[in-house]
Amino acid sequence: MRWEDRPRAVIVGGARTPFIRAFGALTRVDTIGLGVAAVRGLLERTAIPWRELDSLVWGGVVLPSASANIGREIALDLGLPATVEASTVSRACTSSLYAITQAAALIERGEADVVIAGGSDSTSNAEVKMPQSLVHKVAPVVMNRRSGPMDYLRMMAKLHPRKDLLPQQPAVRERSTGELMGESAEKMARRNHISREAQDRFALQSHKRASAAVAAGRFADEIVPIDTPEGRRVHADNLVRGDSSLEKMAKLRPAFAKDGTLTAANSSALTDGGAAVLLMSEEKARALGLEPLAAFRSWSYDAVDPSDQLLIGPAISMPRALQRAGMALKDADIVDIHEAFAAQVLCVLAMLENDGFAQERVGLERAVGSLDPEEINVCGGSIALGHPFAATGARMVTTMANELKLADKQTALLGVCAAGGLSGAVVLERVG
Amino acid sequence: MSDYLVNLGANPRARKLIRTVGLPLPLPQKLRRERAPWKERPLDGLPVAVGQLEQAELTAVLARSLAAAGAQPHVLGDEAQLAPYLEQGAAFGRRPESMGDEDCPKRPRALIFDATGIGGPEQLHAVYRFFHLRLRGLDRCGRVLVLGRPPELAVDPVQAAAARGLEGFARSVAKEVGRRGCTAQMVYVAPGAEDRLEPLLRFLLSPRSAFISGQALRLSADVAAEGSPAPQRALDGQVALVTGAAQGIGAATARALAREGARVIVADLPAAAERASVLAEEIRGALLLTDIAAAAAPASLEALLEERFDGQLDIVVHNAGITRDKMLFNMAPERWDQVLGVNLLAVLRLHAALEPRLGAGARVVCLSSISGLAGNTGQSNYTASKAGIIGFVQAAAAQLAERGVAVNVVAPGFVETRMTARMPVGTREAARRLSSLSQGGLPEDIAEAITFLCSPGAAGLSGQVLRVCGGSFIGA
Repeated sequence: MRWEDRPRAVIVGGARTPFIRAFGALTRVDTIGLGVAAVRGLLERTAIPWRELDSLVWGGVVLPSASANIGREIALDLGLPATVEASTVSRACTSSLYAITQAAALIERGEADVVIAGGSDSTSNAEVKMPQSLVHKVAPVVMNRRSGPMDYLRMMAKLHPRKDLLPQQPAVRERSTGELMGESAEKMARRNHISREAQDRFALQSHKRASAAVAAGRFADEIVPIDTPEGRRVHADNLVRGDSSLEKMAKLRPAFAKDGTLTAANSSALTDGGAAVLLMSEEKARALGLEPLAAFRSWSYDAVDPSDQLLIGPAISMPRALQRAGMALKDADIVDIHEAFAAQVLCVLAMLENDGFAQERVGLERAVGSLDPEEINVCGGSIALGHPFAATGARMVTTMANELKLADKQTALLGVCAAGGLSGAVVLERVG
Repeated sequence: MSDYLVNLGANPRARKLIRTVGLPLPLPQKLRRERAPWKERPLDGLPVAVGQLEQAELTAVLARSLAAAGAQPHVLGDEAQLAPYLEQGAAFGRRPESMGDEDCPKRPRALIFDATGIGGPEQLHAVYRFFHLRLRGLDRCGRVLVLGRPPELAVDPVQAAAARGLEGFARSVAKEVGRRGCTAQMVYVAPGAEDRLEPLLRFLLSPRSAFISGQALRLSADVAAEGSPAPQRALDGQVALVTGAAQGIGAATARALAREGARVIVADLPAAAERASVLAEEIRGALLLTDIAAAAAPASLEALLEERFDGQLDIVVHNAGITRDKMLFNMAPERWDQVLGVNLLAVLRLHAALEPRLGAGARVVCLSSISGLAGNTGQSNYTASKAGIIGFVQAAAAQLAERGVAVNVVAPGFVETRMTARMPVGTREAARRLSSLSQGGLPEDIAEAITFLCSPGAAGLSGQVLRVCGGSFIGA
């Protein structure tokens, strides 16, 4: 097949579970369960014969140690044909975006026709681990068949109550620098002179827009209800606060540093949820009588030094994705940036318009241009809706693919930052 | 090989006790050093105070260099002085702070004064005032840097006087701040060499220059160079030869070059086979066991280059050297011939053989010694050879500049090695304390300087003698 004749991957639909604050109604649904609910909902909304499915590419960040390839577990739990091959990608908060573009690549290379991609995360089910030193002390004795009672006693005597027996608490901490992500974002806000007020204003905008979208039923086609083991049915997101105000936000204390500017209100919360997107070759979509929503014009994945400005990556990925799409910033009709923290979004916007940054870090002659914070994230973002790490990319792709159609626009630029100094951006174009 | 006074001084209780009792012991500051590979941001988050004359000419390059190195600049002056730092800093997330006439950031890691464009000696007052008010605040193991234009290029003798005055000032500051482990240097930046300042700044302001103090370096655009040097893995893909690499300074240099990406040929005498082969194994290098003073040495080296590296050679460090001390009237001719043979003639012969292979970006570093500069009792043979090296380097540098090859001398002061460990206690103690930093250097200190001079970023330096001596009182 000639390269020009290769199939084009299109998005035909997307669905997600409600996004619920961690340790809320979804506490007892694990990452796999959230994935099952999202994929089941997707396949109910976009009815296709299951035998058409080729692959499932799934994103996960807080993975269960018993089964790291949650993609395969989701396919099996859901009862998809056993022939649906599945993989799991873990690329921090860009995981599901990466899973989706991997799916598009599979289709465009001709390896698959119909692929489900997405991601899920349950912070409520993060594993509390026993220290590895315990394993190293205990395992050699337990695994040796010749160990006698004395060996066990000697082993017990060697255990340190605090170092070996105290479980390790999970945290959103960079492994390489030891910084909490909020601390890194706090550093970025300080370095780029982003004020508390600007952050609060942006966070408020996120809540107002998300709440307006909910009220207008904008997400009705995207959110599928989920049944919990307790027998409850959860229908809607629970983090959006349409009644918030700058005055209320101003009262909050800084969350990550004494004299800091980041608060619980202008940061995204730990959230449980899953989201899935259905992709197929354009030809297959037409054959199945499905309406394609959007396709990828380009994407770019990049990385920066985590010890410098951890979450600045979208300011590199977004211009590069635009460049690959042969577009200028003004050609993007909609811009959607993942809101890990209001401060991080505002830092990214500041660097998108900085010529020096464009030259030094992106390799462009000039900055791509400036965006007013009010111009982006038309349906709100992760601050208001919540941020189940590996579900966010799929949520954004779904909402923006629909937005292109609803608002009658042609292109959308998406940017996502991630732990490890990683980032990703895609340019979506309308199809149909 | 450890310095008991440095160790004692590193113990806060002992330090306090000695101060309280009033013992007349110098307590040298334990130097901050860096042994990890070069970093993208060697000054990450560190406050640096910058002052300048109104007509200073290096503002743009200083602003960029500091921001790219991750430093937090505090800039003397108003909006106008701040503007270039703001422009460069924003791109790196390092916005400058404005600093009033008498302000100083808390514990700055470095104090930098840009005195380029100085008109006459009356403007030296601004230099005095900048450091007079801030020197006390300088962090331990901090850096003082004065930047100027070469005096010989001054428009008139008055300007030349001011330009040269800066150097004397920097040398004195070096002696005053050494007690706290701080160092001070003067850098003359020739017109046209501005864009070569950044790598030198990264080196001089980092802990890698821990044992260099009181030096005046001349940055020029004489050596042809293109492209901007990489801040990390600068020697990737390069082939380096280090003679006398089995131990001491040579071994430390081979390790440092390999750490930055070079493939290193570890050359030493067959008698040192064991150490040399262990080192070659450790740094995944090649081994060459030969007496470099022997007539066959160049041929065996060339054979190795052809066989293992397709004839490629980018870096040569002439480190092998010997001493055969004796008072001149007592010195047998063999002693004279041996020392001259290894330290000077072998270098000349090897260089003649290798020179045609050196292409653009190649670097040659020769090891001299501060006694080569100053002369020393009982070392007439040694100092003749080491001073000869300086003459050779200066002439070779001029010859090779057009081809993009830089040739420099590194002149170590007292270094803690097996050789100096065998010195008589009294002489050793005197040698250690006769420097601004009141201590000896480590082989790694010399290695870091050599590695920097071997990097593409050192293109601005050639034909120079870089003393790595802790600001020793010996020598010119």
